[in-house]
This record gives sequence, C-alpha cells and structure tokens, in this order.
Amino acid sequence: MFSVFEPEASSSGEPYVLTPEAPSFAFDPTDPWTETFQRGLEAANLSGKRIYEVGIGTGTNAAFLLQLCDAALVSGSDLDPRLIELAERNVRSLAPDKIDQFHPIKGAVSLIDTDAARAQIAQTDVVIGCLPQVGDPGDKRLSAFREAQAVELADGADEQADDHIAHYYPWEAFDSYPFNSVGLGLNEALLQRLREHAPKAEVIMNFGCRVGTGIIFELFEANGFRPEKLHSQIVRQDAGTDISFFVMLEKALTGTGLEKDFVCKFFKDAEGKQPISACEAQKLIDEDPETPLFHEVAVIRGIPAAS
Amino acid sequence: MKRSNANTIDCNGLSPAPTVLRIKQALTGRARDAHPLDILLDPACDTSSLARSLGKLADRVRLVARPA
Ligand SMILES: C[S@@+](CC[C@H](N)C(=O)[O-])C[C@H]1O[C@@H](n2cnc3c(N)ncnc32)[C@H](O)[C@@H]1O
Repeated sequence: MFSVFEPEASSSGEPYVLTPEAPSFAFDPTDPWTETFQRGLEAANLSGKRIYEVGIGTGTNAAFLLQLCDAALVSGSDLDPRLIELAERNVRSLAPDKIDQFHPIKGAVSLIDTDAARAQIAQTDVVIGCLPQVGDPGDKRLSAFREAQAVELADGADEQADDHIAHYYPWEAFDSYPFNSVGLGLNEALLQRLREHAPKAEVIMNFGCRVGTGIIFELFEANGFRPEKLHSQIVRQDAGTDISFFVMLEKALTGTGLEKDFVCKFFKDAEGKQPISACEAQKLIDEDPETPLFHEVAVIRGIPAAS
Repeated sequence: MKRSNANTIDCNGLSPAPTVLRIKQALTGRARDAHPLDILLDPACDTSSLARSLGKLADRVRLVARPA
C-alpha cells in the first residue's frame, strides 16, 4: 500500500509513483490490512535493522522498509514461489537504489522451513509477517467440526480464489499448536520456530483481531514474547472471507458456561463503536449479504521475554 | 511443546474457553469408545471447573494439570 509514500519522500521533488505490480495470485497491496501493517512498521523505528518478512507477498512492505524506514537490509520468502520473484521485481522498480539491500530467499518456503531461510533468520534483528488466521474452509477436520456445530459454510466459500493461501491456512497440519483452536496455529508455529532459530529477534505481526486482542497477547506470552500493540485500525471485513470459522468457535461454547469468555469482535460501524459477535454478524450477512461489517487489525510487536 | 503423541493434546497457554474449543475439536470424529485423550492443561486452568464445562465429554478425556 503505497499511499504512505508521501511526495516529500522523493529527493527530486516529484511524487513517487510506486504502485507495485500485483497479479491476482498476490495479496492485494492496496488492502487496508497492508496500510495498517505499514503504519505499525513505521511506528516501530526500524532504522538500521536487518528485517525478514515471512510471507512477503508483492514485496510492498520490503520496498517500504528500505525506502521509507531506512532498514539496513530486508530479506524474505513466501510459500508461493512466484511471489518472491514478484517481490524482487517490485523492489527493483520501487526502491532501485536499495536493491543491493534486498536478499530474496527463493523457492517455496513455508514459514522459515528451509536451510537458506534459517541461515538468513539467524542474522536477522526483526521478523515481520501477516500470515493467514482462518482455517481453510475445505479442511476435512475443520469441516467435521463445523458440521458438529451445525454451522454452514457461506455460499462460494469452498471456491478457491487465486490468492487463496493469502487468506487461509491448512488447519489440520498445524493442529499440534494449541492456539490452532482459534485459528492462530500457523502464527504460533512461526513464533516457536523463531524461539529456536533466532532467539534474540523481535517479531512484528499483523493480526485481524476478530478473536479479540486478549487471546493474541496470550499467544505471544505462551511462546516467550512480551507483546505490545504498535498500531491498530478498524477495517471493513473482506466480503469474500468466510466468517463461519468464527461462528463455529462461538457456537461450540454453547452450554459450557464459558460463552461470555470468548466472543468474537466484529463491529457494525467503521468507527468500531458498536461491537457484535460473529453469530450476530453472520445473521446480518444472512439477511443482506452486502451488509458492511468491520473488525480491528492490529500490529503487534513481540519482544523475546528472555532478552 | 507439540502434541507429544496421538493420544495427548497440548493446551499450554490456553485459558478455559479456547481449551474447551481445542478439546471439542480433538474429539470431533474420534470414536466414542476410544481410549480417553490426555489433555495437558495450562497451569492456570482449573481442572474441576473445566470438567464441568465439558459436561458429558469429560468422560472421554483425562485432564492432566501441567506443572507450573
Ligand atoms: C495476507 S498476505 C500478506 C502479504 C504481505 N506480507 C502484506 O502484508 O501485504 C499473506 C502472505 O503469506 C503467504 N503465506 C501463506 N502461508 C504461508 C506459509 N505457510 N509460509 C510462508 N508464507 C505463507 C501468502 O502466500 C501471502 O503472500
């Protein structure tokens, strides 16, 4: 999201025209999630830092960090191998003077699960990422759980968009991680890998806070990081993302006495003043699929607790 | 810590509500007469109130308090 590239950033006095190439298989860099993330990164004071982005997408953040945040070095990788190639092209065109400070880790890299990624991570000060936080609607075990709660999948939710893996993760594959129960298994897997391979690195992650920020803070604490919110914004819920995931979590607590302890956080208004649960949000969508819904997106920094 | 074996579910760091979700997810599709699942609870979780929240499902698990 390059609206944050202000005209004064150009030494020639000309406004930058910094629109990254964004094919349909890449997460849309004009999405408000990316804008939120970049404002959080800006607030993090990353000047002189060596940064690694897990799930680099179009490379919009990499260019932003080099061009506007004065990062010393930016590296990164993505599960979709086309994206790191795209990111390199975008950094080359958007931050041409800084291309030597960009170290792409090529190929299909899940989290940091290759030797090259781990070697780079070991020399990194700050790891950043905005990884999927909703289980894949097609996941077999998740489907069985959804059916057990008598929750229906939204129409079309089982069709895969070109950027499907930017939004959903294979839920069962990450079920050894406790926070997978609320859709944070992929993110927890990253935190655990960082504790092992980069114990001194800070982490800055972008979250859709539909499960509430409290539980996201608990995720950081359980994995040895002290969390701190850097920035947050209320954004419109993407009309294409299936919210039945959140509905089934709420419904599964019916009759347990814990219903009030876990209520998802959607809002009826863009100011975030009228909170509603996922069940209430789903009801509104069922009545009118065009109903605008909102939720918080927050950039959270985790500092290794041992440091 | 990962799930140490197929019969143990780790709930480290989870408060009661996500713990119950995790248990219900783990029991979905599991045979009712299967050997009870071991649930490693976060030290802050109270075993007896969790058992109350689980109702009948409590028979299908063994709640193990993780040492603080
Ligand atoms: C929501 S997009 C964010 C893209 C970019 N970081 C941004 O903020 O605009 C999530 C990205 O994570 C990638 N991704 C999904 N699962 C991944 C995994 N297991 N390992 C690494 N990257 C993954 C997707 O391909 C996608 O590029």
